[in-house]
Amino acid sequence: MARMRFLCDVERCIDCAGCAVACKEGHNVPVGINRRRVISINEGEPGEKSISVACMHCSDAPCIAVCPVDALYQRDDGIVNVNKDTCIGCGYCFFACPFGAPQFPKGNSFGARGVMDKCTFCAGGPDEDFSDREMKLYGQNRIAEGKVPLCAGMCSTKALLAGDGDKVANIYRERVFKRGSGANAWGWSRAYDKK
Amino acid sequence: MKKILIALFIMLFVAGAMVIFAETQQPSITKSYGVVSTTAYYKDFNEVFTGDWQKYGQKFTILQEKYFKNIYTILIIATPLIFLLHFLVIGAFKFAHSGEKIPWYSFLGRVIHWIAAVTFVIMLISGLAMIYGNLFGGGDFIRFLRYTHGIVAIVFGVTALILFVLWVKDAIPKTYDIKWFLVMGGYLSKSQKIIKADKFNAGQKVWFWLATLGGIIMAVTGYIMYFFAGTTDTLRISVMIHIILGMALLVMFIVHVYMGVFSVKGSLQSMIYGYKMPEEAKMLHNAHYEKLKKEGYISE
Repeated sequence: MARMRFLCDVERCIDCAGCAVACKEGHNVPVGINRRRVISINEGEPGEKSISVACMHCSDAPCIAVCPVDALYQRDDGIVNVNKDTCIGCGYCFFACPFGAPQFPKGNSFGARGVMDKCTFCAGGPDEDFSDREMKLYGQNRIAEGKVPLCAGMCSTKALLAGDGDKVANIYRERVFKRGSGANAWGWSRAYDKK
Repeated sequence: MKKILIALFIMLFVAGAMVIFAETQQPSITKSYGVVSTTAYYKDFNEVFTGDWQKYGQKFTILQEKYFKNIYTILIIATPLIFLLHFLVIGAFKFAHSGEKIPWYSFLGRVIHWIAAVTFVIMLISGLAMIYGNLFGGGDFIRFLRYTHGIVAIVFGVTALILFVLWVKDAIPKTYDIKWFLVMGGYLSKSQKIIKADKFNAGQKVWFWLATLGGIIMAVTGYIMYFFAGTTDTLRISVMIHIILGMALLVMFIVHVYMGVFSVKGSLQSMIYGYKMPEEAKMLHNAHYEKLKKEGYISE
């Protein structure tokens, strides 16, 4: 069974935020929830790099480990999803996540926050595939259609790769090989002879 | 003159140390035109994702996954069992109902205490419902209890503050409180002995500080978590404090209920009607009893 993974190639990411826009648009994500976001370090300085990060669908997911109501589950293909009917919005998954993936919308009662929302790998949720309820609660289900997640599909430079872990790793390995390493590596020093 | 020279020398030394320290700091290896391995970039990214996961997030994950729930289960089962054992082996203290009853708890104190008691029980039950949420399948009911937990906390917090102000003078620790702990207030034997204790004995003082100050800390950490009022690391620290302090409050609450209802016959009535019988006051709160006698409130 394919093990789904994300991989963002920081050497290619140009911080266009196309992935973030595609995700928000495709799933009608409300304002304030950022399922996917682009983070940049060393902005404007030598060594500026960007990475697109959402839920990493970890193997030993800390969010699943800490949830007090067992609202989070992992599918056979590795995708981690939340059951919004079970979730109580306590926020433990957010405390436990190393990537800040869980997001919480404004709730209805007493100023409390609503239940947790996060990147679904475009695989919907526990509701029936392609049902209205699934679309309303979790967004599109592209994996059930055999399509790649919206973010990776829209990536302008194909920095963001998503899909079968083996295939993603292969693509990345070939890129690293082509880019070379050490003195032959592609980068400023090779282009502009700066050491 | 000598003092000025020493002070100058120390300042020079500290300044020199600071300069050397500053010079040895490297800018991040990623800030260069040269080729840097992608791993170094990922390392820098890790620091920006969400707080210090290695330090606080990982700790919270391990504690919440393996320890918290199990420790709560042990405490919920063991604490009542231990006191059931105490009741069966040693039983309750009985004191004479004769004599002029002594006013002990004011009307305001009693009213606020019982409001605090009811809200505390609601907080305890709703808190435990979240810990054991998966046994109920989560969902709407547990979510409702979570909102209850947050709202009732306001009422409890107010009562805790009022009780603190009302009774703090009676809860100041004294040296003879240590002796109280050495005999556990005489509760470990069936025979009754005169125990030197204030209006609140040492055990009651411990519960006072834990419930009021601990209650305030629970309210503050709870507020931070409910409204996400802090950085991610603050949230992680808050939840760990909240759950661990909750364990202490759970245990001491069970102890308090046992001591207040079962361990001394008539103690529950004291908190309802506000009086204590002279023999009980003389035996279990002797220091306060002697003080009342000296001030003329009791005639023997």
